[in-house]
Amino acid sequence: MATQTQSATEPKSDAAVEQTIQKLRKLYADAPEMAKVALEHVLPALTSQALEAQASQTESAGRIGIRLGSVSELTVIAPFAPGGAERLRTILRLLNGNFSGGQKVGTLHDMRFVFLDNDTKFLFATAYDGAWDPYIDDFATKIPDEMDVVFSAFEGWPGIHSPDVKDWIVKHQIPAEGWYVAHPDLTVAESGRLKRVGKAVEEFLDQVS
Amino acid sequence: MPTQTATENRPQQSLTVDEKLQKLRELYADAPEVGKAALQNGLPMLTKELAAPSAAQTAGRIGARQGKVSELTVFLPFVKGGAKRLRGFLQLLEGNFRAADAVGTVHDMRFVFVDNDTKLLFATAYDGDFDPYIADFAAKIPNAMDLWLCNFEGYPGMRNPAAAADWIANHQIAAEAWYVNSPDLTAAETRKLERVGKAVDELLDKIGG
Repeated sequence: MATQTQSATEPKSDAAVEQTIQKLRKLYADAPEMAKVALEHVLPALTSQALEAQASQTESAGRIGIRLGSVSELTVIAPFAPGGAERLRTILRLLNGNFSGGQKVGTLHDMRFVFLDNDTKFLFATAYDGAWDPYIDDFATKIPDEMDVVFSAFEGWPGIHSPDVKDWIVKHQIPAEGWYVAHPDLTVAESGRLKRVGKAVEEFLDQVS
Repeated sequence: MPTQTATENRPQQSLTVDEKLQKLRELYADAPEVGKAALQNGLPMLTKELAAPSAAQTAGRIGARQGKVSELTVFLPFVKGGAKRLRGFLQLLEGNFRAADAVGTVHDMRFVFVDNDTKLLFATAYDGDFDPYIADFAAKIPNAMDLWLCNFEGYPGMRNPAAAADWIANHQIAAEAWYVNSPDLTAAETRKLERVGKAVDELLDKIGG
């Protein structure tokens, strides 16, 4: 699993867009017929979209991973420790989707646990607010025990309080090369505020009517 | 990564909280020290989580759902030259996924190149159930879908939506656990709340000014 961090952010000129469109055509020259047809269909929209976009929207999430607006991605694939898969599966089933620890952190949009390769590896993927280092620090401060109960299922997990914990995560993290968020300016906190505003407005309108 | 369709994860409702805790202690008896300590320390919150009603649901054919938001996680094998094409395509898009905006049910999605560019991990959070979701893509953005999915072995094309849905499901690995911060918020409702929030801000500005 090769890691590759990229974030090009130069503004674009018409010529630059034309150049990249040419590059795209070349890339798709040996693609299946279906793809070539599809490319011709989407090129007009793609071109105007590229001209509109003054610069790359995706930025670095700090140490590793990418960010769009205020929302970042973290994707980890790591081997299970002996017995770890069974421990983790059981705890996840017992919890049954009730991750109050996640609510407590307050910067977590979503997260998934996926078991791979006959329970020898797992995939952990999450969307969170802000930059990588403060995010990990936040977990260590707010839910250290929950972190260790879950992540001790993995080979070499040094413990959330260990000085090596960030190196462990970085070693197993694979930065995404494409990242889309529907509402990039919406943090978990802001979405909580908006829910309250929405509710208040509804109540107000009910009273007025 | 061979896919493993794990959906035998039925809830363990029949167990009492005490029985669940007992089971956890047994499981963690041979866990690393850091895990055992964490289990002891984390018991108060765990007990609350174990007592809560199940929050996990399914997304229909495959995948986990919490409230209105579902997860889809696939590992797709690249055709020869596919990784290079997709990487070039993603770099040119620079995070501008207008097609996903057009579908309107996508919360987030990531493209991660794994196993030395032989496979792609695609993971997304979306609204509703698997089959309507895929059908929606086939109806609204078939070209955009063909353009990136043509880079994988055996992709039948979005003009054949039923076969495309089967193909995706065959490569999907259902998450064992799935957490969403705002399970009751669809992407559409979030857009509405953003508008309401903006209107309220403007209203308050007017009253204040």
